[in-house]
Amino acid sequence: MNRAASHGFWAEAWRRYRRRPLAMAAVMFVGFLITVAILAPVIAGTKPVLCRYKGKLYAPCLGYFDRRLEPVIFTKDRFRGEYPRNLKEKDPESWAIWPLFFQDPYRSVRNNEWPGRPANPSRDEGRPSRTNLFGTDQYGVDVLAKMVHGTTVALLVGFLSMGIAGTIGIVVGALGGYFGGWVDMLTSRITEIVMCVPTLVLILALVAIVDKPTIWKTMAIIGCTGWTGIARLTRGEFLRLKSSEFVMAARAAGAGPVRIMLRHILPNALAPILVPITFGIAAAILMESSLSFLGFGPPPPAASWGSLLNDARSNLSMWWLVVFPGTAIFLTVLAYNLIGEGLQEATDPRLREARK
Amino acid sequence: MITYLVRRLLLAVVTLMAITFIVYGLARNMPGSPLTVQLGEVDPSRKLSAEDQERLKKIYGIDENTPWYVGYATWLGNLARGDLGRSFSRKQPVTTLIGERIGPTFLVSGISLMLTWLIAVPLGLYATARGGSVDERGTSLLLYVLYSFPTFVAALFLQIIFAVWLRGTRWELPLFGMTDLPADATWPARVADVARHSILPVVCQTYVSLAWYSRFIKANMEEVMRQDYIRTARAKGAGPWRVLLHHAFRNTLIPLVTLLGLSLPALIGGSVIIEQIFTWPGMGRLFFESIRERDYPTIMGLTLMFSVLTLLGQLLADLLYCFVDPRVSVE
Repeated sequence: MNRAASHGFWAEAWRRYRRRPLAMAAVMFVGFLITVAILAPVIAGTKPVLCRYKGKLYAPCLGYFDRRLEPVIFTKDRFRGEYPRNLKEKDPESWAIWPLFFQDPYRSVRNNEWPGRPANPSRDEGRPSRTNLFGTDQYGVDVLAKMVHGTTVALLVGFLSMGIAGTIGIVVGALGGYFGGWVDMLTSRITEIVMCVPTLVLILALVAIVDKPTIWKTMAIIGCTGWTGIARLTRGEFLRLKSSEFVMAARAAGAGPVRIMLRHILPNALAPILVPITFGIAAAILMESSLSFLGFGPPPPAASWGSLLNDARSNLSMWWLVVFPGTAIFLTVLAYNLIGEGLQEATDPRLREARK
Repeated sequence: MITYLVRRLLLAVVTLMAITFIVYGLARNMPGSPLTVQLGEVDPSRKLSAEDQERLKKIYGIDENTPWYVGYATWLGNLARGDLGRSFSRKQPVTTLIGERIGPTFLVSGISLMLTWLIAVPLGLYATARGGSVDERGTSLLLYVLYSFPTFVAALFLQIIFAVWLRGTRWELPLFGMTDLPADATWPARVADVARHSILPVVCQTYVSLAWYSRFIKANMEEVMRQDYIRTARAKGAGPWRVLLHHAFRNTLIPLVTLLGLSLPALIGGSVIIEQIFTWPGMGRLFFESIRERDYPTIMGLTLMFSVLTLLGQLLADLLYCFVDPRVSVE
């Protein structure tokens, strides 16, 4: 007996997925981005990763995640964000572990802030150098630091907005597909209407409505407009599966509609629904960077890859403002598209037969 | 057939009303009004006094005292009489504005669509014919990479290369706009100048759809190539190219026709991002500006046009579908 045949659906899909080198490389790239996002303050920052000050251990770098996480003692002792000099002056006994690159994503590093290093160059003099690997922007803010801290935004936009879109799409599609009749009529109409309004038009209008856009509002808006494709697909899958034998068996056993939809149909429809969600992550990242690029994104100092590109538009001779963030956006979108493609090939039995 | 058309059209009208209602509500609830945004941006001292604002608001019918859904009813009533209203910020009828902008957009998207088809069809056929070979895989991968390449990044790269690095050489291309020549320039000079300006926007718009179309064609061809009649055609001795073109490609035309119908809105609607980057005076840019200026009549006119085109494209696709495939019937 062939042992491989007894593997579950997902184990089988994973086995198939692993055989595609590009898709695996894409997963690794996303893993790399997640690592960068989590370790952002350790990679680039002006706050010590760990320091001993007046006999106690602190991790001021956490302040990059949330200002409240920065130990109060440094505000009380009037550090004003300048750690290297103040640490030495106010406590000669102190020591600190510094981030890999001593650069701040929100401001320019001043002259002699790091002992013996001149201030960051500003305007179009900030081409890539040994201290600023990816150069600096008009105001002298390090591009690498901005990009490293912007990784969180890029990842969150993808996951959160597609989480919202996926939830709306699955609920709307499942209701329409399972119940049929007037429910289906209603949900299909709504889906069609949202589909007919051009996405960018709808998003621009919504972004203009919310006062003071934040990155969270942008994510919610992208999620609330990007669910139509998922809804259509879910509806089709539910329509197909609701008349299958295992659903009838579940109904005969006395399961209610919610239980049937969640426990019986959804797991069987999940694979084809996951594919457009993965492609949607790529589209959401693209959409957020386009919005920031058009100047409709969250205002500074929020670091987003797209806003760096927007800065470059006013001065095209600063090519490093285009090349590095542009490549980052491109690679991330490519990675998610490759994952979606791999997922499709690994889970779609029709495509599998075609390969034989 | 007639009943089908009537039903589809009635449904389309309902959908259109819903869309315009939503967009009107959104537009009117954006902070600021055309009066405050437009004048305040140019010069803060020119900001209107409260009384002047009230007076103008009355004239323009955007009074806060009348709720926005009443404004929508007015807009709908005017529309029924064939009047799309006048733009607040440009002091011109919306129809004139759209008429001015439709040409430039069509120039870019029309050429781009034509180029896409001219390149994508041979490319898709080539990919099917050479399926699995090293050169085919290389091309497919390249197209896939291009497909993931964001247009605005590509546009900026191209601008840096052709307008900054190649400045002063014969390869230099203009950075933005549609023409630099004065209005009294001669015809041939004007055409040449517009052509030079349109190269970068056309390239940007073409490469993304090129990747998408050729992949679509290849996927459809692969599906057809598995059919029994292809095996039969091969068995009776038809050459590989004849099988590919005569037997297989003809049968992939149906989904392609649908695609043609669905590309109608993009053909006239243009691309907001590309037109914005190259400051191309087209529809996409007009829409972007009208949102920024809170120019309600223009926003509504453009939304109406986009939605009509989308619905029309869908209807056209369905009708063409039963035209090219006699097995499909509208009933």
